[in-house]
Amino acid sequence: MGSPMEYNGGSVVAMVGKDCVAIATDLRLGQQSIGVAYNFDKVVAVNDKLYYGLPGLATDVYSLREHLRFRVNMYRMKEEREITPKTFTHLVSSSLYEKRFGPWFIEPVVAGLPQPTELDPHPKPFISTMDTIGCITTPKDFAVAGTAADKLYGAAEGLWEPDLEPDDLFETISQTLLNAVDRDCLSGWGAIVHVITQDKVVTRRLRSRMD
Amino acid sequence: MASKGPVEGPSIGFDFSNYARNQYLGQTMGGLPKATSTGTTIVGMKFGGGDSGEEEGIVLGADTRATAGSIVADKNCEKIHYLTPNMRCCGAGTAADTEFVTNLISSNLELHALSQGKPARVVTAMTMLKQYLFRYQGHVGAYLVLGGVDSTGAHLFAVQAHGSTDKLPYMTLGSGSLAAMAMFESSFKQNMKREEAIALVARAIRAGVFNDLGSGSNVDVAVITKAGTEMLRNYEMPNERGVKSRNYKFRRGTTAWTKEDVRNLLVSEEVAVTAGAGKLQDTTEASQGMEVDA
Amino acid sequence: MDTLVRQLSRPAVPVHGEDDEAYGNAAEWGSMGGYGNLSRTGAISGMTVPRVLDPISFLATHTDNLSTNPEAKIKLAHGTTCLAFKFRGGIIVAVDSRASAGSYIASGTVKKVIEINPYLLGTMAGGAADCQYWETYLGIRCRLYELRNKERISVAAASKILTNLVYQYKGMGLSMGTMIAGWDKTGPALFYVDSDGQRIKGNLFSVGSGSTFAYGVLDQGYSYDLSDEEAQDLGRRSIIAAGHRDGYSGNTCNLYHVRENGWEFIGNYDVSQEWYKYNEKEKKALEHAGKAGVQGGSPMAVEA
Repeated sequence: MGSPMEYNGGSVVAMVGKDCVAIATDLRLGQQSIGVAYNFDKVVAVNDKLYYGLPGLATDVYSLREHLRFRVNMYRMKEEREITPKTFTHLVSSSLYEKRFGPWFIEPVVAGLPQPTELDPHPKPFISTMDTIGCITTPKDFAVAGTAADKLYGAAEGLWEPDLEPDDLFETISQTLLNAVDRDCLSGWGAIVHVITQDKVVTRRLRSRMD
Repeated sequence: MASKGPVEGPSIGFDFSNYARNQYLGQTMGGLPKATSTGTTIVGMKFGGGDSGEEEGIVLGADTRATAGSIVADKNCEKIHYLTPNMRCCGAGTAADTEFVTNLISSNLELHALSQGKPARVVTAMTMLKQYLFRYQGHVGAYLVLGGVDSTGAHLFAVQAHGSTDKLPYMTLGSGSLAAMAMFESSFKQNMKREEAIALVARAIRAGVFNDLGSGSNVDVAVITKAGTEMLRNYEMPNERGVKSRNYKFRRGTTAWTKEDVRNLLVSEEVAVTAGAGKLQDTTEASQGMEVDA
Repeated sequence: MDTLVRQLSRPAVPVHGEDDEAYGNAAEWGSMGGYGNLSRTGAISGMTVPRVLDPISFLATHTDNLSTNPEAKIKLAHGTTCLAFKFRGGIIVAVDSRASAGSYIASGTVKKVIEINPYLLGTMAGGAADCQYWETYLGIRCRLYELRNKERISVAAASKILTNLVYQYKGMGLSMGTMIAGWDKTGPALFYVDSDGQRIKGNLFSVGSGSTFAYGVLDQGYSYDLSDEEAQDLGRRSIIAAGHRDGYSGNTCNLYHVRENGWEFIGNYDVSQEWYKYNEKEKKALEHAGKAGVQGGSPMAVEA
């Protein structure tokens, strides 16, 4: 019962701060009501300053993640440079839309800091989300997806504010995720937060409710 | 990338490899997820020409709300898509479809212009869109208002997802189309002035924004004349969020965490003097070649 | 116009015949306040059903009452773990406190043990409203029994009132799986009653979406000769385990102990906090035994 999007459970949220971005995920892997594992990390790094999360059907999380790993490696070899968050978003989007009539049951969330260049010495932090068939939205504030998405919308809409410093952004995104998943049966069971700044990435495992 | 390997190059078009599986999953688990749709108000109208004393042109308008079920997925999305320098296309229906269809046709129009050595006409764009959409029998859910100016004048078309088209002096599409059409039916006149036309289009979108739950947020307008296209992004913003008078910033240390891993990206930094590079430099400090260990 | 008015003002379809009218105005009597249209025999005369041709299929399509229709727009509170077991020291009753509507956690502070009277407890699983309403009504019936017979009702009799009551509504969408626990002159007694009309006497029950997990811990640690502390800990541990594994159970655990002089509320425990405590204890025990901690690699790990 329930759609494939709710079969395994799990949620991801990303937020923009002052010269930083954060992305956080819960760690639950379930089979409907049954919790199976609490170390299912749905967020992976593409490179130093680009992370993305894949909440949705777990079997497709693997498939899509491997597909993207292949495509990013090909990009690296051909272009001899790292992929930017914006380009990566379009890569994911195209990969999803290719399967327009038989989609992956995934709603990806991307968060990254573009590399400063001559042309753009102060690039803006970047986040984006897509629906299952690759329709991109690039919010200025936060992006949410997963079984707790509607609760995350509520929490983030209330807690997020502009220009949060990395340390404050960590608190805001953590509290948003923690409080949202505490109202969702299918998300929770631990959480991981990544805060990305130009000179370091801080990854923390949160102590969260385990029920 | 499904059937062909990287050596043979990527295959073109849609990949149906998950279709049978998803059909089964939808049946056994009950229901497939809904895609983001633009429960939209989009409009377009012709103006100028005749005895107005103005050159004829097109005004397009759209709201900026994207929805997924009852959730507002994007409060300020762009529904007026670029086709060519002198053509724009408003999209309603399945958001991903409007985005990708207009992108594809935009590329093909550029190739068309290059091969023909002259800009493509609006009818050409309309024909490409309807032929593409007809091929997919409505499964590509793009409902479009196409407007532009070419060598033969200003043209306005509506293209339905099944491939049918209309050519009209004014039109509305999307869930807010009834509210918007009410404005046109009461106030539209032939050969309106540019400013009048923009005002009417904005009013029609506002009617959708306020009277249709599927539409909302801001008003986007595009004005196309022979001289070029003017994109008036967020022409009106009647729904700006109130400023919070206080904040909910958490005291640092609120969240309990059990493990931390810091990935240092700044290994070392060296500043070397490059005389005459044209950059402002503090010679006294930079000459030492300092090293910052992060 | 007249026909329209007549249609709209037509009274609810009565389930039973006209002869129930004899009890008619029970609603005006104080003791029946709020339960006014329930007759004293347990045969319910005036409870309204949806005014459609087939009320049963109507309810089935519009509510997720029996969990068979998750697409239904009206989501009722669901999902539970309840357990109760008899042992040397009486009966332990332990429940969780989560109420969910779909995957949304509607409340984390639900009282799923219904204190029918000082000697009787009922647990709540399935439709929260169904359980609350009928078990409160059961309380009324038990009190009336006491007044009429100058003697407390036996657990067997009380649970039978409830079965007979819900049996009359069989197939109409009631959803409850409940345990009636208490102490009467025969000693401790425990019954399982559900909306199918089933009524079973037994020593150990667990009900709800998390019941399998609770049974796992319960069966492993159960013995009739448990001490009071051991039994209470077993009940609590079982609910913690279920609250941990089952998505639709959790938040807190309410623990009750039924003894000869009636039930006693032992406490309310946070499932998550208790889980960390048990986990810590287990880890220490493992370390003590010299074994390496159970540490699996990430399921996301892929060879580089």
